[in-house]
Amino acid sequence: MKVSFEWLKEFVDVRVSPTEVADRLTMAGLEIEGMEPAGDDIVFEVNVTPNRPDCLSILGVAREVAAAFGMPLKVPDTGIQGDLPASEVTVEILDPALCNRYTGRLIKGVIVGDTPEWMKKRLEICGVRSLNNNIVDITNYVLLELGHPLHAFDTDKLFGSKIRVARAGEGRKITTLDGADRELSPDMLLIWDGKEPVAIAGVMGGEASSVTSETRNIFLESAYFEPTSIRRTSKALGLKTESSYRFERGTDVVFLENALNRAALLMRETGGGKIHEIVDAYPERYVPPAVEAAYDKVNSLLGTSITKEEMRALLGRIGISTEDRGEKLIAFPPSFRRDVRAYYDIVEEVARTYGFGNIDARNPKTELSAGILNRREINIGRIKEAVRRTGFTEVINYSFMNGADLDMLLIPHDNVRRRHVRVMNPLRQEDSLMRTTLVPSLLKNFLYNLSRGTRDIRFFECARVFIDDGGPLPLEELMLGGILFRENLPCLWKEETPSFFVVKGALDSLCGEMKIKGFSYVPSDEVFLHRGKSADVMLGGAKVGFIGELTPGVVEKLDLKVPKPEIVVFELNLERLHAAVPENLTYSPIPKYPAVERDIAVILDESLSSARVMEELKGYRSEYIERVELFDHYKGKNIPQGRKSLGYRITYRCPDRTLTDDEVEKIHTGLVAYILGKTGGELRGV
Amino acid sequence: MDERLSPDQLLSSLSQIETEFRSDVEGAADLAGLQQIKTKYTGKKGLLTARMKALSSITDPAQKKEFGRRLNEVKNIIEETIKGKELSLREGEKERRLLTEKIDVTLPGKTTPFGRQHPINNILAEIKEIFVSMGFGIEDGPEVELDHYNFEALNIPKDHPARDMQDTFYVSDEVVLRTHTSPVQVRVMEKRQPPLKIIAPGKVYRCDADVSHTAMFHQVEGLMVDTDISFSDLKGVLELFIHSFFGKETPVRFRPSYFPFTEPSAEVDIGCVFCKGKGCRVCKTTGWLEVLGSGLVNPRVFEMAGYDPDKYSGFAFGMGVERMTMLKYAIDDIRLFYENDVRFLRQF
Repeated sequence: MKVSFEWLKEFVDVRVSPTEVADRLTMAGLEIEGMEPAGDDIVFEVNVTPNRPDCLSILGVAREVAAAFGMPLKVPDTGIQGDLPASEVTVEILDPALCNRYTGRLIKGVIVGDTPEWMKKRLEICGVRSLNNNIVDITNYVLLELGHPLHAFDTDKLFGSKIRVARAGEGRKITTLDGADRELSPDMLLIWDGKEPVAIAGVMGGEASSVTSETRNIFLESAYFEPTSIRRTSKALGLKTESSYRFERGTDVVFLENALNRAALLMRETGGGKIHEIVDAYPERYVPPAVEAAYDKVNSLLGTSITKEEMRALLGRIGISTEDRGEKLIAFPPSFRRDVRAYYDIVEEVARTYGFGNIDARNPKTELSAGILNRREINIGRIKEAVRRTGFTEVINYSFMNGADLDMLLIPHDNVRRRHVRVMNPLRQEDSLMRTTLVPSLLKNFLYNLSRGTRDIRFFECARVFIDDGGPLPLEELMLGGILFRENLPCLWKEETPSFFVVKGALDSLCGEMKIKGFSYVPSDEVFLHRGKSADVMLGGAKVGFIGELTPGVVEKLDLKVPKPEIVVFELNLERLHAAVPENLTYSPIPKYPAVERDIAVILDESLSSARVMEELKGYRSEYIERVELFDHYKGKNIPQGRKSLGYRITYRCPDRTLTDDEVEKIHTGLVAYILGKTGGELRGV
Repeated sequence: MDERLSPDQLLSSLSQIETEFRSDVEGAADLAGLQQIKTKYTGKKGLLTARMKALSSITDPAQKKEFGRRLNEVKNIIEETIKGKELSLREGEKERRLLTEKIDVTLPGKTTPFGRQHPINNILAEIKEIFVSMGFGIEDGPEVELDHYNFEALNIPKDHPARDMQDTFYVSDEVVLRTHTSPVQVRVMEKRQPPLKIIAPGKVYRCDADVSHTAMFHQVEGLMVDTDISFSDLKGVLELFIHSFFGKETPVRFRPSYFPFTEPSAEVDIGCVFCKGKGCRVCKTTGWLEVLGSGLVNPRVFEMAGYDPDKYSGFAFGMGVERMTMLKYAIDDIRLFYENDVRFLRQF
């Protein structure tokens, strides 16, 4: 909200600089976000929080200034002197729950004309466009000055000289001042004349009853509307006005009469005319609430030792009168402070007036607690750190995606990744779904960096995916996703490992670091992966993710300039991975006796996976085999077409003595015969 | 060997052998050459070995003694010289290896460079560490959240103007993308009894995006509840945090504000880290930067969570991790965090 410093000075005789006023207000809770010169005036940009609608005016801000500097507040005299003719317009409130007071004044014989220059200037400084219509501009001027919204009707257009306040009921429409035809829902509160709705209460007037240059007789409204009702109406219509903004936050049911008078006087001043007696429908008089607060409670919540007298004086400074009742005080907040309702509101007012800066800082005395850093937090941190150490850089992407992202990856319609959560009001259509996989974002990161000249791209992301499983809230699972792409560039030290194995190696390192056992890889049926260069990652018999090269069909769509790019992606369920991290480690003793190593190279069918052969080797029963390690994989020269050679190193060891050569020879021969039999392979000549 | 040489001749032949040996050793180029020389003089058929055999042919005791002394002397010279020469040849050989095997040590090493942690997570880790060291636990909650936890239970009813403070993404009338990490407070309070000292870091969503806002960002929420927690404690804990994070000399101020779930509420400002409080573009010339929102937990929130507000009090706070990161690294555009340009990411 914009506040003119000169205007403010009419209400409080402040002598210090605008900067000092701004500082004091900010420290009292009325934040001055900016200050701009405007001619010979200064305009404050005031950030008024939703709990303080009383500050949405020059008067309201002036009240805070007066309290902050301990100066008197000068409220303009709004008394209307002399004998006034009786009102010719009647007011009837049919829905007192939504409107507890409606006042109005008839002003007859007004000349609708230009707005005085001084008023135009002030309106403009405060960001309100002058319509150069004295009547309408005055309602806006008083709204800015005193904070209460007003509305002016052309009395001659009010059927039956009647005002009724009632809900819309079924099937009502109105054309508002802005020329829009608006459908009204039954619960919206309207102002009616003897026949038709003439305004949407507290939101906007109707076009038919509006003041024009021909208008001579004005009926001026100043009312109190129930905040929730105004907010609902304003939201439903998508119509937010200066009036609705104030009504929905709460206005001053007592003071509204002064605003009415102030406007009536200004109208007579600028357009002449005769002010009539007030009509005041006020079904239930406002009784200020009595709020109790124990002095001790206030002090213990603030950590202060403010005396009774001091506390009451602090409240008095902001217009809250109090009575002392021994252990506690009774506060009577003024009608413009409807936000002060309970003891904790008193705590806040005392703290604010006392000054937050005057409250001492102390370090709390509390019990020690166990399990501060939970296991999950630690494990996930370590997993991410392990991935980072294998050369992957962390990215953070928005949690959004859209259907086209899944189409691009050829995700079938019955796939779990199609069970997504949709955002009703996305900022962009591309961001209308919550991610069910991290792959589309990672692909975008890849494309973004590739197009900017990066040739070696290794990214990972750790983020949640959201699967709609039919419950009230979706299933949220923490995933670890990654992407790797290297352009085959000349480089100093040769590195010929295929991309797939670079990524797989990273996952293996990760498992090693976390002591996760039982990882295995089986052929994957993920449609976006290359059938021959992909695998599902299994842990304890269940799929926890996948790793693989993007299938040519998907790569084609990326429209890259690189021929046959190897783009490897992976995605693992981090919750499952974390669950597989052993809770405790137990040490195994270091062997005392030497080991014997024997190598074996087997030529076998190409289609036999190394994992199968390893399984067979490990299946051979001997208590002395300590370790089997694959050290060679070879196809080509000297090996027949369709076959390959695998080389293994077997480590033999007995825990309680040294094995003899004969013993080792015997076991090894047995193993060789066994594996050749199991795999149909033959020994590779040495 | 001619055994008919006279004792005098024998004696003088030793000098010849010595001279010849010295010249041979001089010319030895490598260990193999030296070995040959050794054989030539002291081998089974070596020159000196032959003279030793001649010792018995001398009959005169004085002559025999003299010849024997001289023989020993030459033998020692030969052995010592060969030993010395061998040592120096070995040294030379090592030296040669050091020369011929030389590499250009200024060539780059072979590395798989570590990846980097995203700057947001650098800062998040730092924030967590500070609070954990103060005894706060880390908690978590859903990002797609019930309206109830995101708003209602935090004293923000459906038709409350405070809802305007946060532009909300809706999934349905009852489900939202959480607009802050505050709902975790409520979820934790529903599960556990005080004393409570937690922080809840995580992603939050707001339906507005411009130069200084992104639709998703990170927050850290904090909550402390016990039987005797006051505004003083709030100030103590947050000042301690700010001094750990921004440095001991950083000025801090608390000023009144409004959040529906705390009362009194306070914004926490620090002296501008860029201009040191003199006033600049970043702090809009005020010399202060807003870094945290905080306040005493509103008793209404306690009631809704099932805590007795007469017995317990507490404070809550929240901060934007992007903002902290920008202040720490002097980053001037929030959008950089989500572009994930490797030239940006590799700087951290």
